[in-house]
Amino acid sequence: MELKIRKSADIYIIDVNGEMDLYNSYKLKELVMKMLEKKIQKFVINMENVEYIDSSGIGALIYICSTIKKLSLKLLIANVRGSVKKVIELTKLMGYFPITGNVVEAVKKLTD
Amino acid sequence: MDDVKQILQDDNHELFSKEDMFSKEFPSDYRQIRYFTLMIVQKAPPEIKEINLLEQQISEIIKNAVKHGNKSDPDKIIKVWYTFTTEEARIIVEDEGKGFQNIDKWNAFNVERQACLSKEDYIKLADYVAYRTEESDDNDGGNAMFAAVEYWNEGVVFKSGGNIVAVGKKFPKKHPGIEVSEAL
Repeated sequence: MELKIRKSADIYIIDVNGEMDLYNSYKLKELVMKMLEKKIQKFVINMENVEYIDSSGIGALIYICSTIKKLSLKLLIANVRGSVKKVIELTKLMGYFPITGNVVEAVKKLTD
Repeated sequence: MDDVKQILQDDNHELFSKEDMFSKEFPSDYRQIRYFTLMIVQKAPPEIKEINLLEQQISEIIKNAVKHGNKSDPDKIIKVWYTFTTEEARIIVEDEGKGFQNIDKWNAFNVERQACLSKEDYIKLADYVAYRTEESDDNDGGNAMFAAVEYWNEGVVFKSGGNIVAVGKKFPKKHPGIEVSEAL
């Protein structure tokens, strides 16, 4: 799994590439926690290039989502598709996660 | 509210029948869980793999046995029995651990979770997104079995010792020669 950060005004977009599995999902959690220490307030997690996710990956997203909610900061998860979408649907958390269509839409929503 | 799916406990459940199943044994090596899973799932016909959903679901069962069952003890093994057709996937996994002892608690937790989902109470749901015990660590998502009881539509069944689990899924029958338009 590879993580890249892009920036659009005060919005930070994290592009996740590869597989979010039991061996590497913690990296996304750690990255977001470091960004929170740097007082970043608006996040987009772009799942476009995630081909595989397991319960550890879902767990990482739950942790990130609940931490950001508790701090009343902003998070959107974009491009949830394919098997990632199926796994989230199986856990019935499509309504729990702040999911939006694509990165452009996410940035627009967080700008308003 | 829909009937809440449960983890079953039944020593005589038909999913424990090992007739015509392949079997393999693996050491409890956490680093190789996905590799072991691939060795099993390669036997499955592509029609039922659903990209990698079957692989992902099997990997969770194997991870539970290696990590939570055998505590990744290299002296302990897991045994896996498996069979795949275009209409069904079944696996049985046995570990040498003390067994999943909290099945009733887990089922009660899942009832609460489902109630939050039905009411779309996402604030209360925050307390029910992950099932954790004192043995959970940061890498445990605590959500694998919620997906498992949905995915394995023939059941997720433990023997009374809690260290043998059987799961099964039926897939919709394909009718070769009949084309169904997906455009509605």
